[in-house]
Amino acid sequence: METLMSDFLFFVEVLLSGLLTGSLYSLVALGFVLIFKASGVFNFAQGAMMLFAALSMVGIQEMLGVHWTVAFLVTVAVMVGLAWCVEKFVLGKLVNQEPIILFMATIGVTFFLDGFGQTIWGSDIRVMDIGLPDGVFDVGGVFIDQLELVAGMTAAAMVIVLAVFFNKTKIGRALRAVADDHQAAMSVGISLRYIWIVVWTVAGLVGLVAGIMWGSKLGVQFSLSLIALKALPVLMLGGFTSIPGAIVGGLIIGAGEKLAEIYLGPFVGGAIENWFAYMLAMVFLLFRPQGLFGEKIIERV
Amino acid sequence: MTQQEVKPGEVLLQVDDISLSFGAVRAISDVSFDILKGEVRAIIGPNGAGKTSMLNCINGFYHPQQGTITYKGQTRSQMKPFEAAAQGIGRTFQNVALFRGMSTLDNIMTGRNLKMKSSLFSSMIWWGSAQKEEMQHRRYVEDIINFLEIEAIRKTPVGRLPYGLQKRVELGRALAAEPELLLLDEPMAGMNVEEKEDMCRFILDVNDEFGTTICLIEHDMGVVMDISDRVMVLDYGGKIGDGVPEEVRANQKVIDAYLGGGH
Repeated sequence: METLMSDFLFFVEVLLSGLLTGSLYSLVALGFVLIFKASGVFNFAQGAMMLFAALSMVGIQEMLGVHWTVAFLVTVAVMVGLAWCVEKFVLGKLVNQEPIILFMATIGVTFFLDGFGQTIWGSDIRVMDIGLPDGVFDVGGVFIDQLELVAGMTAAAMVIVLAVFFNKTKIGRALRAVADDHQAAMSVGISLRYIWIVVWTVAGLVGLVAGIMWGSKLGVQFSLSLIALKALPVLMLGGFTSIPGAIVGGLIIGAGEKLAEIYLGPFVGGAIENWFAYMLAMVFLLFRPQGLFGEKIIERV
Repeated sequence: MTQQEVKPGEVLLQVDDISLSFGAVRAISDVSFDILKGEVRAIIGPNGAGKTSMLNCINGFYHPQQGTITYKGQTRSQMKPFEAAAQGIGRTFQNVALFRGMSTLDNIMTGRNLKMKSSLFSSMIWWGSAQKEEMQHRRYVEDIINFLEIEAIRKTPVGRLPYGLQKRVELGRALAAEPELLLLDEPMAGMNVEEKEDMCRFILDVNDEFGTTICLIEHDMGVVMDISDRVMVLDYGGKIGDGVPEEVRANQKVIDAYLGGGH
């Protein structure tokens, strides 16, 4: 009885930790969804933007010796500038091109940002310290990582704000319009340029928040941009166009890989965590290619 | 130069000697014509005659290499489509360009985009007033929905609608912006007789009730001659006829172009 109870508590602990890590994946996935929803472009550079944002923030904090809130605000300005540049020098030149062309352009942006960030701020591992708690709560024998809890709550808050933004505001409607049809959007008086800057800014800010969370957890380093790859299975699960999908997908992936690591890992020699998410996504694709919440594309013929 | 108010019967849009080419292909050569305030103006011609290119020049998708376009007394340099929309030029497209993922209502609401004042930041801060504004526009959009008799599909994602209804929703979206000049690119293409009659009625009603000036491209000669005040005929990018329907019908060049006699 005693061991059964502690087994159960251990299970809950693994599950919770998985869910909370999952919410961090969701944060990254959110950035992808935003740009995809609003411009129909799969933004490969989302991971690089997250790294760049985190690097800039830590760098600015160190360089100027200011409080992290000041560094945060300056970084926000940097991300707005970045969005402006992306529109001006990359996307603005590619209006009405095929999605694959835009996708390739974002790969270019990725390599540029990875290199540029490290040129300016160096490639050392930096410590991101904005005073997030790093202890654990003990809730009736279940240990919860405080940092993960904060991350989870942040993710939840961002989802609510973004969902309202997309569905209830004029600009949200304009964003969806641009995603559906560039020409038609322009014909009703929507400026593509403005919309793109807004959406890349928002994606940059989401990247910044994700970067802060991951940076606090793992340190700010190059491998952060690889975490973005974990967002891919999250997107396949949740659907590329759904904000709630990014969250649910993240939670499933996070919990799934932790549970698999603990309970299946020993039978197949461990390190399941590295590939389980991709496997899960692949199996999922067979049954629901549009994702859990994705819009099913019905093509008239 | 600023825009002037244009009274009914005066020139709303003046196109002077415009030419447009894509590389070596000449889409429009030296065409001049005008659109009077309050009229229904048709542009007809065989496939590839440059009709859609002409509309694209007028609302800023294309920029002619030569010639000028004067709208409401203002001769424009390169104008972006959203600027054209802001000045009161609305349009629909040949191959229905709707926001497929959205409902009928949202599509038409998007047409109100320019009329909505609250910006991103003010709507974050003054949530209440943004909501109130949304309601006012919603009312206007409901009027359009009633006018076009599409109440039943208000909430349906437009991607699922039959073609004829999609065209109607697209017209609704253009109307939502309260355009002064409405460009319709083949509003009746692919429709059955009944749908065509409905669409004709809507176009004439819009012209009548709102005083909206209409410039349309259409293939169905019967329809064009019935509803248009004046007709311009393009062939191979050049203008071969212009005038009231009877004149155009009697024009030998036009007959040749349509029957293939001249080529």
